Order: sequence, then structure tokens, then C-alpha cells
Amino acid sequence: MGRWTLLLVLLFLLALPLPKFVGPNPKMISNALLFSMTQMFMLITLASNWNLIGGFTGYVDFGHAVFFGLGAYGTGVMMAKAGWPFAPALVIGALVAVIFALLIGSATLRLKGPYFSIAMLGTFVAMREIVRVAKPLTGGGSGLTLPPYLNRPLFYYITLVMAILVIWFIWWLRGTQFGASLIAIREDEVGAEMRGINTTLHKIVAFSLAAFSTGVVGGLWAYQNTFIDPDVVFFESRTVEMVMMTMLGGLGTVAGPVIGAALIYWLRDVVWANFLQFHLIVQGLLLIAIVLFLPEGLMGTLGDRSSTSLGRLWGRYMNASPQTPQEAQP
Amino acid sequence: MDQFNQALINGIMLGGFYAVMVLGFSIIWGVMGVINLAHGELLMVGAYLTWMLNKGWGWEPFAAIIIVAPAMFALGYGLQYVLINRIIERPPLISLLVTFSLSIIIANVVKLIYTATPRSVNTMFDGFWRLGNITIPVTKSVVLVAALLIMAMLHLFLQKTRLGKSIRAAAQNREAARIVGIEINHVYAITFAICVALTGVAGMLISPTQAVFPFMGPPLTLKAFAITALSGLGSIPGALMGGMMLGLVEIFIATYVPGIGTNLGIVASFVILVVVLVTRPQGLFGGLKPVEQAH
Repeated sequence: MGRWTLLLVLLFLLALPLPKFVGPNPKMISNALLFSMTQMFMLITLASNWNLIGGFTGYVDFGHAVFFGLGAYGTGVMMAKAGWPFAPALVIGALVAVIFALLIGSATLRLKGPYFSIAMLGTFVAMREIVRVAKPLTGGGSGLTLPPYLNRPLFYYITLVMAILVIWFIWWLRGTQFGASLIAIREDEVGAEMRGINTTLHKIVAFSLAAFSTGVVGGLWAYQNTFIDPDVVFFESRTVEMVMMTMLGGLGTVAGPVIGAALIYWLRDVVWANFLQFHLIVQGLLLIAIVLFLPEGLMGTLGDRSSTSLGRLWGRYMNASPQTPQEAQP
Repeated sequence: MDQFNQALINGIMLGGFYAVMVLGFSIIWGVMGVINLAHGELLMVGAYLTWMLNKGWGWEPFAAIIIVAPAMFALGYGLQYVLINRIIERPPLISLLVTFSLSIIIANVVKLIYTATPRSVNTMFDGFWRLGNITIPVTKSVVLVAALLIMAMLHLFLQKTRLGKSIRAAAQNREAARIVGIEINHVYAITFAICVALTGVAGMLISPTQAVFPFMGPPLTLKAFAITALSGLGSIPGALMGGMMLGLVEIFIATYVPGIGTNLGIVASFVILVVVLVTRPQGLFGGLKPVEQAH
């Protein structure tokens, strides 16, 4: 049991009974809060997934929302057109995302740096048009309506478990040989290849893993929203959010995307929920500010600063965790 | 046969526009190493300026160049001064993220001011010429001629003037250009401003032929990227050829693949982009810099 596992289990136990307290009494929590938490868990999962390919492997994916959209449409089409129940439809949605990731990844992951980013942006924009044109299957621009199902606690539990599982999985992955190989690819791809790492295979596996749980989030989101159309599902801002949250927390760290997602979600909910039309503008300005002034993210900056007491505390905690085993050894 | 000829004409006209549209993008990339993902949005701003002049004061859209070009030049200079200067010699990821954010900001500011309603621009150069069974739209012919003129002027500027020569020198070898006394920061600022002005003028050219709306940018940025992959960085003849290729592919797909319309043009350009980059990472004619150098 590392500290990370302990921390996660603790958070999980804390968050578990929350739906029990939902009620009309003002001292209890509201349904809206429960919904907010659900959204936040989804964003944490998305940002952590993006971090797997963008942060660990160093392949900055500007079209990751394509897997969200495919998961949503895979699930939506099976439910609305084929009349399947939710659970098997979700499996289909996730499979669609993974299969597409395998296909597109084996082409685009051969590209380096900015070329990969642009190719994925292209994949994203192209997929939105394909979904719009494939009218018989996807309903085209008028979208699909899923059977409505209002059960907030259920979605809360699913997304909570999913977020915890994904964070734990990525933390575990980071400590394995596979995770180390991903970092090696990010630091020096040619060098990694010369050491005998099958870089293409590693990249494709990491990419597909990220696509899988992004697809699951997409399917869940579609069911919760009960309506999908190309513009709402293939939404540029979703990729921007993933990038921004990961960058704010710290690219390539396990905790970074979680902290970034939680911070930005609450900031958005509390501070600029009343200025909806400025939302995307503020988001863009924030991303520029993060990139220019905080390129290491909160985790990197806090971990580095041994001058502040908070930074020292944080640094001690991080060094004691099994994430950096060589430093943890006495 | 008529259908084929018609598609050929339409493709060439679209290609001419693409060629002039891509220049700003590819010169900024070639000279400064910045991949400007806000390219489509800057073009959209030029189109909106034209629409304002057209609706508000009844200007002919092609005459709007006397306002659009200087206004966009100033915007470009300002952007360079405030933002782009900070990202020029940093890793490509930084410039991608910053210009990507910039594109979202511009699109949403325009949406906030003018709403998302598509706007149309009226020109007196409308109607058709008939040539046998082929129709030639007048507006698009004017666009093509204007695009060719602009490219010829830009070519002369880059080849003959002192400033144009320093821009080419900076593109070829930054350090050597510094050594021979070229003020590199000044060259960067002027290059970015000229390219934004060029992009704005491209937006002016496209405004009478299609709807102008805040989110028209991303497909155009993507097409600019695809054409650059075909044609190489900063080459005017290359841009003309790459633009024509994409224009023809797009129109022929729309003509011969039934039930699809021009929506899949973006898919075509994406497929071209990925195929070219995967099979020839240096670009179709070897004009793309390897990523290591693009830093």
C-alpha cells in the first residue's frame, strides 16, 4: 500500500456516502451539487487519460475528444437505433473508440511533434463531418435522442469509481516497466528505440488505453445528457479542457490532471458560471497564461520550490511516495 | 465531359483561393518556426471587416482591401509584439498551445460581438458567364485573378526589395542573418504583420463566395496545413500548386461521389495530409523542415 493508494482509498470512502445526504433540507447537499461532482469526476478521468498520451508519452493530442465523440455515438447508436440496454451499448461505444484508436494511431503516431498534433486535430474535425454526413446511422445534424433515465446517484457512483480506477491505474502504470518506457519515449524517442523498446507498439497501446476510457466517459455522458449531435459531442473545447487541466496541474504527473481538473471545474462553476458567453474566452486566456507563466504546472512548480514551506511539505510528501522509488530508498 | 470541365474550372478557382490563403500560414512557419493555429480565425476577422464595410457603408468587398490590409497589418504587429515574440524560439508545443488558445479566443470574441449568425457579403461582380455548357461564376473569377495578382506582388516583394531579402535570409539561416546585420526581431515583426494582412485579404476574397461566421476558421487552418505539407514552407509556386491540388481534389470528390456535397472536403484534405506526412515526412517536395529544426 503506497501513500497514493491510501490517499485514493481515503478519498473514495469520503466521497462514497455523498448521495445519501441529498435532500430538500438546506443543510443537505443539493442534486445540482451531485451533478457537479459527477461532471468533475468525468473531467478528472478525461484529463488523466489525455495525460497518458500527452504527458507521459509526449505526444500532444489536439483531437482527443474524437474518442469521447465516438464513445458517445457508439453508445447512442446502439441504444437509440438498435434498442440495446445501456451496459452492452457502452461496451460497444468503448470498443468503437479503441478500434478507431488502433487504426488511426498506427498512422498518426508515426508522425513527430507538431505533425502528430495537427493530424489528430484533423482527425477530430474530419470525424465530426463524417458523423454529420452518415445520416442513416447517426441522425446527421439533427442528432440522436437516447431513452431518458434520471438517476443522479447512479451516475455519481459510476463516475466516482471510474475516476478512482483510472487514477489508480495510471499511477500503477507509471511504476511499471511499460510506464518507464513511455517516459523514455518522451525524453528521447530514438534513444529509447536503440535500447530495444518497441516504441510504436508502446505508443499505440498507451494511445488505445487512453482512447478506451475516454470512450467510456463519452458513452456515460451521452446517456446522462440523453441527446447527442455532432456539434455538442465533437466539441473543440473538450480537448482544450483536457489540455488545460493537465497543463495547469502538471504535464506528466499522476496528480497533476486530477488537481488541474478539480481546480478548473470549481473555478468555472463558481467564478464564471454567471458569464457563460465569456467562458471560452476566459478558458483560452487561462491556457495562454498557464503555458507562458506556469509551463511546469502546479505540481512541477510546487515540487521544485524548496523555498516555501508548502513546497517543502509537498516535496517531502512526493519524495516519500513510491512514484520515485530510487529516492524513497533509505 | 461537360461535368468534368465544369469540375476542373471550379477546382482551379477554389485552388487559386487556397493558394493565396495558405501563404500567410506557410511563410510564418517557414520564417519564424511558429505553426499558427489561429490562421483560420485571422482570415475570419478579415472576412468580418469586409462584411462590416459592405453592410454598413455599402463598400464593394474587393475595394475593402484598402482598409482590411492595413487594419490586419496593425493587428498582426500587435499580436506579434504582445504574444508571438514570447514563443518564437521555444519548443513547438508552446507555440501550438498558444496559437490554439488564440484561435478559440478570437472566434468567441467575434461570436460575442456579432453572434453566430452566418453573414453574406454582396458584390456587384455577380452572375455567370456561359461557355458552351459550362458556367463560370464571375465572383470566383475575380477572386482567382486577385489571388494571382497578390501572389505575383508578394513574389516581387520577397525577391526584389531589401526587406523581402532579409525575410528570406531569416528563413534560411537565423544566425547567419543576425551576423550580417539583419535585425531579426524587426524582421519577425514585419513578417508576422505582413502574413496576417495577407490572411485578412484572403478572408476579404472569400467573403463574397461563402457565408461568414465565427467558426469558419478551423477547417481553413487544417487545409492550410495540408497544403503546406504538399507544397513546402514559404514557397509561392509551391503554394499555388498545392492549393490547386487540394481545390481540384475537393471539387472532384464533391462532383463524382454522390450524396456528399462539399462537406467532405475537409475529410479529403485530412486524408491527403496524413498520407503525405506518413509516407514523406519531409513534405511532398522536401520543403518541410524536420521537426528537430523547427524548434
